[in-house]
Amino acid sequence: MSATFPQSSLRAPSNAQGLAIKVEDLRKSYGDVVAIDGISFNVRENEIFGMLGPNGAGKTTTVEILEGLRTADEGRAIVAGVDVRRYPARVKSLIGVQLQSSAFMDNLTLVELIDMFAAIYRRRVAALEILGKVDLAEKAKSWVRHLSGGQKQRFSIATALVNDPRILFLDEPTTGLDPQARRNLWELAQTLRSEGRTIVLTTHYMEEAETLCDRVAIMDEGKIVTLDTPANLVQRLLDKGFRRERVEREANLEDVFIDLTGKGLRED
Amino acid sequence: MRGAFPTLLSVSLKAYYRNRSAMFFSLLVPLMIMVIFGLLNLGGGSTSETVGIVDKAHNPTSEQIIQSLKKVSVLKLDFGSESKELNALKKGDRAAVVVLPADLGSLVTCPAGSPPSCRPRPKPVTIPVYGNKTKPQDAQIARAIVTQFFDSASFAALGQPGGIYRTDAQDLPGQNTTYTDFLVPGIIALSIMQTGIFSVAFAFVQQKQTGVLRRLMATPMRVSEFLAAQVSTRLIMAAVQVVILVAVAVVAFHFRLAGNVIELLMACILGSAIFIAVGFAISGYASDEQAVPAIANIIVLPMMFLSGIFFPRDSMPGWLHRISDFLPLTYVTDAIRAVSVDGSHLWNLGPDVIGIAAWLMIAIVLAIRLFRWEP
Repeated sequence: MSATFPQSSLRAPSNAQGLAIKVEDLRKSYGDVVAIDGISFNVRENEIFGMLGPNGAGKTTTVEILEGLRTADEGRAIVAGVDVRRYPARVKSLIGVQLQSSAFMDNLTLVELIDMFAAIYRRRVAALEILGKVDLAEKAKSWVRHLSGGQKQRFSIATALVNDPRILFLDEPTTGLDPQARRNLWELAQTLRSEGRTIVLTTHYMEEAETLCDRVAIMDEGKIVTLDTPANLVQRLLDKGFRRERVEREANLEDVFIDLTGKGLRED
Repeated sequence: MRGAFPTLLSVSLKAYYRNRSAMFFSLLVPLMIMVIFGLLNLGGGSTSETVGIVDKAHNPTSEQIIQSLKKVSVLKLDFGSESKELNALKKGDRAAVVVLPADLGSLVTCPAGSPPSCRPRPKPVTIPVYGNKTKPQDAQIARAIVTQFFDSASFAALGQPGGIYRTDAQDLPGQNTTYTDFLVPGIIALSIMQTGIFSVAFAFVQQKQTGVLRRLMATPMRVSEFLAAQVSTRLIMAAVQVVILVAVAVVAFHFRLAGNVIELLMACILGSAIFIAVGFAISGYASDEQAVPAIANIIVLPMMFLSGIFFPRDSMPGWLHRISDFLPLTYVTDAIRAVSVDGSHLWNLGPDVIGIAAWLMIAIVLAIRLFRWEP
């Protein structure tokens, strides 16, 4: 804990094409079920890349292959310049991961857990500084099970920041959170991006994707159906002649909710 | 930078220490069992009515005495060499041991120049009757009977008591004599098994289910370091558990620890390693936390009653006894009992140590085969 949060030594060698992730013809089946059916896409450096799709579309499987947690049957994935299949441990040391339902060992404080993760990455970190980044410095001595839902997600992101990764994977980070906690997490994601990190985000919330993501890929049945900026995707739909039956009002119910209850977090 | 092991170990020890239910099951439950069974005194102090006879004379006189002794209906006799009988006495398996000396039945010849009325007469002999110091009641009753027997034998021979045969009461220090001395090593073995199996199985099924392990797999963590830290935590806790249990047993239940504490701890840690590996195997096999007690108890309960924890296995039918010989908990219990109560050295416990080593290998193979990181 004595040393300071290390400066990014890993961010320096930028990929030739400015790509953080390069995926080529990835396939994965579980028995007869095809989870991913030959997908290819690139994630650019320093963008927030959204992966959308109904449950079972293959988002999580894709992300887990990129994280080195699963191996693809076919195809290639280069993450942070490293072939995941060949060097999963190397990739793991370069990326930060927030899993869909991250849980942590019981009976340990946040600081102890951060220090444990740091030891795993063979790094020395200022645990309080990392907790401060996700607004949890006050909870340093708490146990995870005493955190609120939003705090748990932020702590999960804190553990993903221990190795100061270039690329962050956030798998449904706002599912189950109240509107304040969700907005708070959006701000955190934008801050992390402004530090030069690339973020791959899966979500079920279209508003979230529209607010945060530079580009989104929409998956269905193991395939990428489309991939573009949210604005372009909307424009393409409009160009096809699509019109909502009822014209969108200037505000919606969530705006009312936030207007009445404020953006401040409610978790203590 | 140094490896992750020291941090992983310290974190894991902290988490274990703060886990109240684990502490409850690894310390309070064994102490409660010790108190309950100590009060029940199931072994009844393992009293013995058998009197050991050591015949060093092997002559008609000793033969005759043995025949007469056999007629004393209240005595159960056992014959054997002096060392065998005295060892049995020390272990509490004899109430007393009578040694018929080599010069029994020899005659004192008349010195030269004695009056012609002089006849050779039986030489007076001292007959040691050994008792076990820690079991005075057993010894007292047996001695009273034996002494009375020899008095009447003397009287029959000479017309006066005590003339030829004089019994000499001697007390030897006993071993493994009280039920507590039998029970405490058993409870130690039992709690090592329970803690090893349950602390691993519950923790890892839970960590597998909730995704703790998955999160760790998303880091470049070395699995060997992680498992080493988890296993070391539980071995250290097993050693602490043993030290506390022994200390309480010595202070509160007058347990006599005859053996070397370091060797006792080594036996315990070897045993603990078996059950930790079994715990990993169960946590791989069990689909959720509810399945853990069911699977674990199928393994734990039979051993609890067949491995000689609460009562000696001698009372079992022969076939069951032979099966129970090969149970891992039997090897562990016997080794712990031999070290702590008989004061044996580990290197003298060949079969037990081989049994423990064999089970350790089997358990590790099972753990490697069955353990899973994901649900």
